[in-house]
Amino acid sequence: MHDKSIPFEAKIKWIKKETRDTATYALQITDKFVQKKYKFKPGQFNMLYVPAIGEAPISISSASSDHDLMHTIRIAGDVTTHISSLSTGSAIGIRGPFGNGWPLSEIKERDLMIIGGGLGIAPLRSVIREIVKTKDIKRRNVLLYGAKTPKDIIFRDEYPRYSSVFEVHLTVDKADPEEYWHGDVGLITGLLNKVSFNPINTMFFICGPEVMMQNTVKMLTLKNVPAERIFISIERNMNCGMGICGHCFFGPKFVCKNGPVFRFSEIAGFLWIKEI
Amino acid sequence: MIIKIQKYNLSHIFDRLKSSHKLIGPKIENNAIILSEIEFHDIPAGYRDQQSPGCYKLKQGENAEVFSFSPGPDSFKRFLHPPFAEIFRFEKSKKGITISPSNSDEKPFAFIGIRACDISAMKLYDRVFSGEHIRDKTYESLRKNCFIMAVNCIYPGDNCFCQSIGTGPEVKDYFDIVITEIRDSFILETGTVAGERLLTGLQQDRVNDNDMKERNESIQRCGKAMKKAIKFDELPWLIYRNLEHPRWAEIEKRDLECGNCTQVCPTCFCNSSYDLVSLSGVLKKSEGLSGVRIRAWDSCFSKNFARVHGGNFRPSRKARYRQWMSHKLAYTFEQFGLPGCVGCGRCITWCPVGIDITHELEALRNAR
Repeated sequence: MHDKSIPFEAKIKWIKKETRDTATYALQITDKFVQKKYKFKPGQFNMLYVPAIGEAPISISSASSDHDLMHTIRIAGDVTTHISSLSTGSAIGIRGPFGNGWPLSEIKERDLMIIGGGLGIAPLRSVIREIVKTKDIKRRNVLLYGAKTPKDIIFRDEYPRYSSVFEVHLTVDKADPEEYWHGDVGLITGLLNKVSFNPINTMFFICGPEVMMQNTVKMLTLKNVPAERIFISIERNMNCGMGICGHCFFGPKFVCKNGPVFRFSEIAGFLWIKEI
Repeated sequence: MIIKIQKYNLSHIFDRLKSSHKLIGPKIENNAIILSEIEFHDIPAGYRDQQSPGCYKLKQGENAEVFSFSPGPDSFKRFLHPPFAEIFRFEKSKKGITISPSNSDEKPFAFIGIRACDISAMKLYDRVFSGEHIRDKTYESLRKNCFIMAVNCIYPGDNCFCQSIGTGPEVKDYFDIVITEIRDSFILETGTVAGERLLTGLQQDRVNDNDMKERNESIQRCGKAMKKAIKFDELPWLIYRNLEHPRWAEIEKRDLECGNCTQVCPTCFCNSSYDLVSLSGVLKKSEGLSGVRIRAWDSCFSKNFARVHGGNFRPSRKARYRQWMSHKLAYTFEQFGLPGCVGCGRCITWCPVGIDITHELEALRNAR
């Protein structure tokens, strides 16, 4: 088994700016052997490493069928700030993949509703692209995405492409008067109220800020969606990625190892407990 | 294989073991029994320690027994999961990043006089660091070929409660050799081939039924003499039911969040990794630099333990205490199938304000 505590080198292949503080980085693992062996599932994450500065857990935003390995990163702390100063060809370290990923086997016979908030769309994009690639329209695919303002919408140019397979609904908390915006305005829960779905036969993949996920789950429960059909991807302070450092505990769960994707019924008892 | 030896003969075993292992055992330093690399004469024979919540006192006892003392603040964890461990070395230059895993090629450890509670903790560590889905090389390289020369406790420490958890006082498995003291002899039982090999050809006496009876009785007596206990019948549910109990806020008033309990606890494994760049690590040419990545003990009591950019998931002290105690008494069952508390009582002794985990659990059970 590969020792996952040791990073390997990767070079930045290209960078695409998404919003004023977020960009997508395509990475190429330098070692050809490691590159060939590296496999991941949608929803997993890597620890990106800048020597002498540190590591940050970043979810993989590309599909496994994509040619490039992508991470969509918002400037938040030391590591991500440093990464934002890098250019094409720069080297960084990478460890992973970690976590369980989205349960794609569970959506085979069912409709799928993907609900993203803010940067939470990054790990979901991995699933979206996977489904778009296979053009699977036997099931109904719905994508709801909420951002702060139109300027904060990540992957803005990509949604028209996804709309051949997904019903795409976008909303913003606040429309920017200076920019033309014809989508919805309001929280994601407002959008959820407008979209109809079959509560029994739909799977929900949710990722976003914790409050947004709590409120979304609450609303879905009110709409009679069984807790077994809801999956949420949780953010915690991942430090080792392998379940040995204890930083990412969510109740008895290691978010890095048992998650980051959890079936809501599995963690329902802990989701509402403050500071768990 | 069960044999009986004269007590002084233990030093011969030490000599044999020394050629292949680093002997880690009890020794007195700064008025406490700590673990360190030892010689036979370092063992604080006959010493007793007085322990109470927030208090530890070492007394030169009149006891005739060699292993009459209880575990001090140290445990095996300082050696298998060192406070500072080097994971890898890095070098960054214009060309890119080079990473070389750190290896130690030192002799493996032999843990002398390790007690049943700590052996249970070591079982947990083995599952944490080299379980089904995880191979941590840093731990595994230190753990490999360790020799375990355990001791059955015949006196309980004042804060011990392993009997109530079932983790002690008798060492039942996971040992190479286990020692039980009876009068002027040691009964040695082997658990592995390595243990048998070590004892082969040693000057020994026959073990008779009376010896074994005495062995069993002294261990049983030790278990019965324990003053503290944890009722395990309702765990982990007792904790899960009471995650929002007002008692946590009450504990918060006494808790100094010094993290002593997590340092002395033999099952606390939480850690943080970070880079150390020394001044000499800056390479002369180009803008490169080099350094090491360190894994250091951390504590769920530190304020930033659950911090992410944009917020802290556990900003209050009561939530951090709850995290610690819930991990010990509830979460580890689900995570690793073992109790996270082995009943050594160290967290009670070394807590500067004497917070007692057995009392706090009872308070959760009783106060409604």
